[in-house]
Amino acid sequence: MLLTEEKPKIGQKYVDALRQQFGWSILEEAWQAPDQVTVTVELNSLPSVVETLYYQHGGWLSVVAGNDERPINGHFALYYVLSVEGNEQTPQHEREKCYLVVRSLIPPRQMEFPAVTPRVPAAIWYEREVRDMFGLQPIGLPDERRLVLPDDWPEGLYPLRKDSMDYRYRPEPTTEDETYEFIDVEGEGIVQVPLGPLHITSDEPGHFRLYVDGEYIVDADYRLFYVHRGMEKLAETRMTYDQVTFLADRICGICGYAHNVAYSTSIERALGIAVPERAQYIRTILLEVERLHSHLLNLGLACHFVGFDTGFMQFFRVREKAMKMAELLTGTRKTYGMNLIGGVRRDILKEERVQTLQWIQELRREVNELVAMLLDTPNIVQRTQDIGRLEPKVARDYSPVGPTLRGSGFARDIRVIHPYCAYDRVPWTLTYKDGCDVLARTLIRADEFFESLSVVERCLDTMPEGPVLTEGFRYKPYAYALGYVEAPRGEDIHWSMLGDNQKLYRWRCRASSYNNWPPLRYMLRGNTISDAPLIVASIDPCYSCTERVTVVDVRKKKAQVVPYKELERYCIEKKDSPIKG
Amino acid sequence: MLKLIREVLKVGQATLPYPFAPVELAPGFRGKPEYDPQQCIACAVCTIACPPNALTMHTDLEQGVRTWSLFYGRCIFCARCEEVCPTGAIRLGHDFELASFSREDLTVRAEFRLAACNLCGAYFASAKELEHVLALLDQAGLPPEDAADRKALLRACPECRRKTDLPRVKPLIQEAFNGRV
Repeated sequence: MLLTEEKPKIGQKYVDALRQQFGWSILEEAWQAPDQVTVTVELNSLPSVVETLYYQHGGWLSVVAGNDERPINGHFALYYVLSVEGNEQTPQHEREKCYLVVRSLIPPRQMEFPAVTPRVPAAIWYEREVRDMFGLQPIGLPDERRLVLPDDWPEGLYPLRKDSMDYRYRPEPTTEDETYEFIDVEGEGIVQVPLGPLHITSDEPGHFRLYVDGEYIVDADYRLFYVHRGMEKLAETRMTYDQVTFLADRICGICGYAHNVAYSTSIERALGIAVPERAQYIRTILLEVERLHSHLLNLGLACHFVGFDTGFMQFFRVREKAMKMAELLTGTRKTYGMNLIGGVRRDILKEERVQTLQWIQELRREVNELVAMLLDTPNIVQRTQDIGRLEPKVARDYSPVGPTLRGSGFARDIRVIHPYCAYDRVPWTLTYKDGCDVLARTLIRADEFFESLSVVERCLDTMPEGPVLTEGFRYKPYAYALGYVEAPRGEDIHWSMLGDNQKLYRWRCRASSYNNWPPLRYMLRGNTISDAPLIVASIDPCYSCTERVTVVDVRKKKAQVVPYKELERYCIEKKDSPIKG
Repeated sequence: MLKLIREVLKVGQATLPYPFAPVELAPGFRGKPEYDPQQCIACAVCTIACPPNALTMHTDLEQGVRTWSLFYGRCIFCARCEEVCPTGAIRLGHDFELASFSREDLTVRAEFRLAACNLCGAYFASAKELEHVLALLDQAGLPPEDAADRKALLRACPECRRKTDLPRVKPLIQEAFNGRV
């Protein structure tokens, strides 16, 4: 991971192509790693540059980071992070894969930028978020609603500007009502079904609104971010670099360690710190242990939503072994608190290795039997095949990640495309399917579970001896880089810029579900409302749970409240529709 | 279906009798931090390392008292305190059952005397920390007069140290700059 001048730069050809096409609009290039480059472009050509990379060079939009760089260079900055992987005409072995970051500066007197969303739909949430957090106006963005800030947040208060507010400040709500405007779908017999603000599958809030014609979903809209915790602001103003690793754990209750590794590697890459080999293997092992319990949870839920609750109980019984494995290897059931900048804090001892290998064998046998039973259940295929289709075209436009994308025929996994930790040193196979439906996504998780077991086994067998933590490096002010991990639900990506006061200047962390929510609308269309919970569960979303469902009949101007339990029951039993009568 | 029933029968009861019987924990399990005030020198390193601010230190320069406190309600059991503690005064145990009816039960406090400067009399550092450093100096194997000199210096507050030190280093600085200062 140490950056040296002699190493060949992967992705130089994309930068050259941009220079050829856009000439003087390309102002500057800066390399953060041999396969990571930031290209500063003139603001007006930002949409064209991003579009060219996205559609002509096989780019996928990973994250967009806004940054208030006024104290550094007098401007606001936008970073569009693309994983550029080569277009389809290029032969497979010639496709160079790199992270290419397109950066543009916005003068403070201007405060607006040309929106990329009309050209690349994947940017929609990011540009809405940049507007909320920094007050930068995306010109031409079709959606003018807030994304992250609550409806009762004061106008003109932009939390992530450096001069705006203390992280502890909570402004008074400006209104008593929820003023969020859901999209308007009109037509003969269209009924709105709001789900939420407390929503499906996990116990966190999110407000869904389904537009149904009879039993069929015509369109969907959702309002999330009810529980935005302001972690980026907190990290930037209160915590030191090492302390943020413990905060990164808490981004997610499932893929916390993936965030932790993504954050740590972003700092390590920015500073060119060489992480010891053994630490790389330990990180790989723990990331896969996390995938084990995450996928077992989702497989269990898949059983639950098709009415196979015994299977749900059995998957959760077996999952306990994966949790014990985490406890044995890290000292907590949640693989928390294992990283510092420079490596890991705890080595894997011989007894722990032996015990883990034994549990892996038991897990392989038990889960094998359970998966066979799940697939033998008569209604699993019937309930999931061709349900919640994510068409490859939609997937290409919205850059979803993880099993959600791999279920639609794309062999895209960060562990393969941008290998990190020890993934390029142990053999393993990537799974993808082209069913595009709930079934494909579920089967991928089952396959990945067994692959994870093999990765842990091979890492334990081949990990080298040696130290696990690098110490004694110096922090360089304003160095920045990306860190990325293929979490159980897909790519987690962190963009970090160091500060000059032992604190981060800017930390942009993006969880995998963030990229999977926008295409969900297309997955719901054309399905019956009884399949809605199943479809939402199939992207394994990171937050939200429906407490109750309100059915609004647009023609009769009549609202009917249905408890969420009723919708869940309907999903499981498929009879006695709650909106009939 | 038969396979499933066979599996269910084979497994039997999977639920543990907890809390009526203790759960088995991994040997390296990280439970609640156990604090030993005898070992603590109130140096404040743990309060700087603690990510969730569960560990805090309050220094009262008027009364000459430093209060160390740990609030388990904020603790995330990460063991950073154990990792950075120079004297092994805090270690993570296996206890994780912290439920309580009173917030006070979740707080551990210890008070430490501050050392007063031997020149101006102002309180400036934890007395135990000072003793610890002086003891370390004894171990360092310095020549006796050198050690005595340094010890005297350490007993003064940073302000007085600067004042007394300046006349001593003045000739050295003048030498370095060829008398141009």
